[in-house]
Amino acid sequence: MSEKTHSGKHLTKVVGEAYMDLHARAAQGAFVVWIAINVPAELFYGFDNVVYGVPESHAALNAAKGAGVTQCEKAERLGYSMDLCSYARIDIGSVSDKGMDSPTFGLPKPDLLVSDTNNCSLLVKWFEVHHREMGVPHFIIDVPFCYEPQKEKDRQYIIRQFKDLIKTIERLSGQTFDEKKAMQAVANTSEGINHWKRFLTFAEHRPSGITAFDSFVQMAPFLVARGTPQFVEHYRMLADETEQRVADGIFPVPDEKYRLFWDNIAPWHQLRDMSGRLAALGTNIVGATYTSCIGTVEGSFELFAFDGGDPLEYCARTQNCYMCPHGMKLRGKSMKEAVQKLNIDGIVFASNRSCKPYSITQMDQQKLMTGQFGVPSVMIEVDHADARKYSRESTFTRLEALIEAIEAGRRAV
Amino acid sequence: MQINVAEKLLTLKGRGRKVLGCFPLYPPMELFYALDLVPVVLWGLKDAIKSTPECDKHLQPYTCSVARHLTEFVLTEGSGMLDGIFMYNACDTLRNLPEIITTATEKNGRSLPLFNIHIPMVLPEQTDASAYFKNEINQLINDLENRFGKKFSKEKFKEAVTKVQNIRKLMADAEKQVALGAIHFSDFSESVHACWFSPLEDQAGILETLINTGKNSKSQKTSLKTGVILSGILPPPASVIAAIELSGLTVVGNDIASLGRTYASMPKVSEDPDSYFLDFYYQHYPCPTLLYTGDRRTTSLFNLLDASGAKAVIFIGEKFCEYEYFEFPYLSKQLNDRGIKTLEIEIAIDDDAHTSAHRSRIEAFAEMLKSTE
Ligand code: SF4
Ligand code: SF4
Repeated sequence: MSEKTHSGKHLTKVVGEAYMDLHARAAQGAFVVWIAINVPAELFYGFDNVVYGVPESHAALNAAKGAGVTQCEKAERLGYSMDLCSYARIDIGSVSDKGMDSPTFGLPKPDLLVSDTNNCSLLVKWFEVHHREMGVPHFIIDVPFCYEPQKEKDRQYIIRQFKDLIKTIERLSGQTFDEKKAMQAVANTSEGINHWKRFLTFAEHRPSGITAFDSFVQMAPFLVARGTPQFVEHYRMLADETEQRVADGIFPVPDEKYRLFWDNIAPWHQLRDMSGRLAALGTNIVGATYTSCIGTVEGSFELFAFDGGDPLEYCARTQNCYMCPHGMKLRGKSMKEAVQKLNIDGIVFASNRSCKPYSITQMDQQKLMTGQFGVPSVMIEVDHADARKYSRESTFTRLEALIEAIEAGRRAV
Repeated sequence: MQINVAEKLLTLKGRGRKVLGCFPLYPPMELFYALDLVPVVLWGLKDAIKSTPECDKHLQPYTCSVARHLTEFVLTEGSGMLDGIFMYNACDTLRNLPEIITTATEKNGRSLPLFNIHIPMVLPEQTDASAYFKNEINQLINDLENRFGKKFSKEKFKEAVTKVQNIRKLMADAEKQVALGAIHFSDFSESVHACWFSPLEDQAGILETLINTGKNSKSQKTSLKTGVILSGILPPPASVIAAIELSGLTVVGNDIASLGRTYASMPKVSEDPDSYFLDFYYQHYPCPTLLYTGDRRTTSLFNLLDASGAKAVIFIGEKFCEYEYFEFPYLSKQLNDRGIKTLEIEIAIDDDAHTSAHRSRIEAFAEMLKSTE
């Protein structure tokens, strides 16, 4: 849907402008920070001239535009193992020859690297590679993994680190932090996410108003433009337009027979092929853990809105919301609720050797969803960004088997 | 000598000991000993676990062998012999295991209490996490006291600290005998490993026997051999160690997470657990799993090379352990720039199939080292 709609075109504009702005401002002397995907970028709007790039997002873009394998191979030639996360390999490969083959010409050289242990601690090791090779300071944000809802002591620990990050940027950039501006950015993010959540609710409609593939692609502003008025505008437009399309009876898979749910990172190199082939089978992946967890807290996919209070407190409270920084029981709880709400017929567990934090527990999660809650499911092998580690045929053999299992279940009722 | 882990645990249970299975490598042992618990570090179980059918029901094949063997052991032979498990945030793989394991054991009608702390991974020069860390240690003491009905005592803690430090010293002494060529690295590695599954009071004996064997040995001939350092997460399997030693190389030092890194640091003796462990973790010998030690790793390796006179480093990669693999290219380059030769070997769960390939590479590497001497 993304390419044909207004919001699809607007997405290209927002992402293109974000990368152009990043390069232009860096060239003009802005302080450049490279961050892990879930470092609260809103804090940087508290400074006059700090810009940020997200290597993970840049890696995803490379993979989606077909440059993933080329970049991975560069890193492998430097001695980095093929078993390492493909985002890391793409990024290291891209940096190795100054952004060659990247659709955005890479990212401008950073003044500071900020990693975050919440999704994974190997990202710290990845950013350390740049820290050593480029001689750039590295700030580590450490978020305790949670088996239970985030504890107050952990939240206070995270807030303390945010404050130290602010001080570090003040010291390195010579700029002064203005909390009011950061607060406005947090409010913008929260408002934009509110629209994002509205967009996702159209998956509840039968047939679904969206596909998970739309939502994967539409995540990009969350990674490159959050905190800005454009971010709010974009997601308002996306939700409004989707609402109108549903009202007009326009659906991505009009003859939708099977509604699936996806667990893991998007298969960036397969979006078009997979969505087209599934649609031909009357099948729509209508939702995903990957996109549903944005703007929530661990254990639930419900919106966790900013209440206008302490912005650091809000940012800290949402640090465990992604799927990787919390445990299996919490993951199972939110997944079960989503499956019920979206009337899901089957779940696709995309086992991803490049992302162990997301994938380990999937076998037990599958037992829980299928064994205990009776939702048919399948496990497929997908590397999110390295197309060499994906087999189209065996994937579709399994997906077709899932569809047959759903059919058999229906016949038995 | 091959350690029968299950038998060791049975003996401990027979002696009425409470056993705590530790998932990560650097648990606060002294604290556990002070509370009359026996911590067993569940690493290096390859010899004890020949296949992993139970684990394979829970973990994908791309999970590292450490995690797979550990899971298999706790779900099978080890089940019923552990009184609890201890966990801290050592790596992205390990952090998911406690729930998998406790869920599986609960299904079998057994509850396995989990004791969990978070070790701050922030850089101390950026964030002072000492208050947070002390709270974690105090909370752990509370949890252990409540569960096992023992009261923490400063005297017993200090006593445990002194004994553990003695063990660390003995391990370092035993390593010196390896460097002298008086004992085999595989014997050394197995003895250290045996200590992990033994009560504190037995450990000194195991190590002293080994050291005395070395002292009485007539085969101290290191001067004729080329010294190498082994670096990685686990020591290589016995067949690879044998290949190293048979090709005329001597292991004169190790930067192995489960060996040298566990005994290389000696925190100041204290009766105060929170400041003792703050020192223990923050001054710890660098390990990629302790994220804040990253900047010190290269220097430590250089220091080890200088102190041991090693001519080369053999990196032992644990398949699917990202932590070491992010560092190998940089470390190799730094070492090569200094004229130190490096070799990288990857060990996988089913590695017996690759022994001859490893042997050939090691022999070629040894030849190359000798030809450049
Ligand atoms: S391992 Fe997973 S969470 Fe970590 S950087 Fe890679 S994709 Fe992200
Ligand atoms: S070998 Fe590496 S990945 Fe495996 S448990 Fe140890 S640190 Fe984690």
